[in-house]
Amino acid sequence: MTAFTLDDGDVRAVLEAALATGGEFAEIYAEDRRARNMRLDDGRVEDVVSGVDRGAGIRVVAGRRTTYAYTNVLTRDALIDAARTAAAGLPGAAGAEVQDLTERQPPVRHLPRLDPAAADRAALVDIVRRAEDAARSVDAAVRQVTVMYADVRQSVFLANSEGHRSHEERVRTRLVANAVAARGDNIQTGYEGPGASQGHELFDAHPPEQVGRLAAERAVLMLDARPAPSGEFTVVLAPGSGGVLFHEACGHGMEADIVAKNASVYAGRRGDTIGTSILTGVDDATVAGHWGSFGFDDEGTPAQRTVLFENGVCTDYMSDRLRAAELGIPRSGNARRQSYAHLPIPRMTNSFILPGTDDPAEILKGVKRGVYCESLGGGQVDPASGDFVFGVAVGHWVEDGELAYPVRGANLVGDGPNVLAAIDALGTDFDVRQGICGKDGQSVPAGLGNPTVRIARITVGGTG
Amino acid sequence: MSHELQELLDAVVAQATAGEGVEAYGLDQTETTVRAFDGEVESLSSARTRGVGIRVLRDHRMGYAYTADLTEAALAAALQAARENADAASPDDANGLPDAASVQDLPGLAADGFAEFAVEDKVRLAITMEQAVRAVGGDVRGVDSAVYSDGDTTAAIASTNGVRAAFQRTDAFVYTEVLAERDGATTAAYGLDVARHPADLDVKAAAAEGVQRATRLLGATKPESQKLLVVLDPFATASLLGVLAGALSAEAAQKGRSLFADKVGEQVGSAQVTLVDDGRLMAGLAASPWDGEGVPTGRTELINAGVLQGFLHNTYTGRRGGTASTGNASRAGFMSPPGLAPTNLFLQPGALDEAALLARAGNAFYCQQIMGVHSGANPISGDISVGVAGLMIRDGQLAEPVREATIGGSLTGMLQGVLEVGSELRFLPFGGGMGGALVLVDGFQLSGT
Repeated sequence: MTAFTLDDGDVRAVLEAALATGGEFAEIYAEDRRARNMRLDDGRVEDVVSGVDRGAGIRVVAGRRTTYAYTNVLTRDALIDAARTAAAGLPGAAGAEVQDLTERQPPVRHLPRLDPAAADRAALVDIVRRAEDAARSVDAAVRQVTVMYADVRQSVFLANSEGHRSHEERVRTRLVANAVAARGDNIQTGYEGPGASQGHELFDAHPPEQVGRLAAERAVLMLDARPAPSGEFTVVLAPGSGGVLFHEACGHGMEADIVAKNASVYAGRRGDTIGTSILTGVDDATVAGHWGSFGFDDEGTPAQRTVLFENGVCTDYMSDRLRAAELGIPRSGNARRQSYAHLPIPRMTNSFILPGTDDPAEILKGVKRGVYCESLGGGQVDPASGDFVFGVAVGHWVEDGELAYPVRGANLVGDGPNVLAAIDALGTDFDVRQGICGKDGQSVPAGLGNPTVRIARITVGGTG
Repeated sequence: MSHELQELLDAVVAQATAGEGVEAYGLDQTETTVRAFDGEVESLSSARTRGVGIRVLRDHRMGYAYTADLTEAALAAALQAARENADAASPDDANGLPDAASVQDLPGLAADGFAEFAVEDKVRLAITMEQAVRAVGGDVRGVDSAVYSDGDTTAAIASTNGVRAAFQRTDAFVYTEVLAERDGATTAAYGLDVARHPADLDVKAAAAEGVQRATRLLGATKPESQKLLVVLDPFATASLLGVLAGALSAEAAQKGRSLFADKVGEQVGSAQVTLVDDGRLMAGLAASPWDGEGVPTGRTELINAGVLQGFLHNTYTGRRGGTASTGNASRAGFMSPPGLAPTNLFLQPGALDEAALLARAGNAFYCQQIMGVHSGANPISGDISVGVAGLMIRDGQLAEPVREATIGGSLTGMLQGVLEVGSELRFLPFGGGMGGALVLVDGFQLSGT
């Protein structure tokens, strides 16, 4: 397949039309997105959908005003029409000059080893069936299994009036299993959903059978769960499970648009010690093959690793072009958008708590009474205060350093800065999970990761 | 525009092989959105998008593929992909494409001169509305948002069953969320207007509506908990109809996820409740001559004088349930296969205008705003517990404002408790085409929190 691209002469004509009325900056973001989805429900392969979406968005910026026009007709005329429409929102004299285009090379490429396109539908049916069979064979209590497979190849072309041009191919693959287990009126669910900026080499690390089995085992395990106790306890987060908490309660408040609106608990706190001295947290789009990785962000800034908290000190915010200028900070390569139909905004890529120096087994042994979280479910966070509530999807009660029994109905209640300060042990291990992060009506893939994390004290809201 | 699109679809369908069903659905849309703030454009976004989605039915298996690239080669590739997707799917006897039926056009669905209305004039509408709000001054702090948005959509469909149709629809709307403040407490409320042509929008009325609704809540206090009559205002009624719609889908009923399953023929509401879905009602925003599978839309009485008549169907649920589609196949765009949704859903208006209905209410709670309807109103169990703001009604007149309150009850209790439906029907642009009306209901518990 030849690379998805636009002609330099067309690009110049479009950018000039976009800047005809006083814009300071103009940009074309064009993409071609080929997606395949398959859904198995109740033993039947139901939705089998594939397709091609493509389009381009033209953005013009003048001061704090932004105009945007997008189209999925990629002819020169349609793009110039879109550029004129965008320019019409900024009535005035001619703006910035368009610089000659120079191709930028990405600092890192995330190329798939096993291209998903090489797998035909029969191979995909085989993948979802293997996951389903493995889930059903876990226990007679497994009543329903749903498996979803998805792959996408997104080809992005970017060019702007500052003369930067870039091309990137992004391939992602994901397999998600949901299981329902029932015993009498007791109905529990389990979930497993690995994904990566990879092709089918994803299944080397996560065989479909394992995906189905883990979802079913979690549902069955929770059938024996007892109501969680309430109170202040020590909580241990398993590798991978705590990333979502770090993302929601600490990461969003470090995004420059929220900081600029003064709606973040971390606004104006760079240089302040907020977390415990063993804590270092980063956002890193460069990690090979990870779910939220890329080579360029969605306004063409090269992928970077941004240190959010270093040894407990609040360090750098995640920015895009507009907010970097507004706050007077560097562009960190965190501009992302859902598609050509959306404006870029500052977003996390892969947000990680980095591993520490403690032996994971010793971390658990040090807990007198508390909760071990294997996975967290949904949560709610107020970015202005950092206050959060997270459900514990799979948890265990810990007594004298040992897992005693599974618990359900537990919530972790707290706020970001206090949790960061209450971390007293970080394991040498590390694992990741994958999420879809929603913000301002746009959804993007977000990687999450952490080692074994011990929080000395946190409020557990239980029902027992 | 529609002619060109229709020809593309015909060419796809003509490639069907023997024993194979093919349906091609095409969309061509232009949209404009303007946000105004402080007398200026904050952002302006406009778009033209088009695409085709293809369903293929082979051996009772259904596959779907789409493309935004409308070249002959891309369409042929999409057709082939849909075939291969069908081959990978499991067979289901209820899978099928609808038969051709005669479709009657809806004249006036696309406003003349819509495309000639200039972007600068759209910008002016948004700015005028924002300025009209700020000009009020006093307790009115300004807007959280002031938005103009429009769309010009052409949809077309063709199938091997002989379905062949196209329509064009235009719509334009403005909305503003007005912020008012007194003694450190902020209130917010929407004002809006909808039309087929932007020149017919009344932005001053939208601004005034937002101002009135925001300012009349100033100084609100928590009410005493009590059981009392409730008047749902048109916005509140429209959002509760959205929840009710979920329970009236045949898919929900067939999968055991509707509180109305197995209740056809039973009295589920008071004699004042006649609930209608009408895809041909021009006043409704969801008006279209045919649905997402080319089935003619029509008028479906779901509840007549309180008695449940049936459910909303698409072709699949109709075949599965041994009945006909009601023309309620929905499309979330060309990238999604057909789903199932209401069109214009509304309660048959009654005889009382606002003054008469408030007089009839006597002493009651006027519910202006409902919060948390998605989590607080459950279409499976029917339980309702939602946050509300509004005004007390005393001796038939709107009186002091109320906030931080909840109303609790159930969907079935609400339908049974309907005493009057107001005479004015106004379709609102959320959740499809829900009809707003004043509704006087008995049986709710108002709680101060």
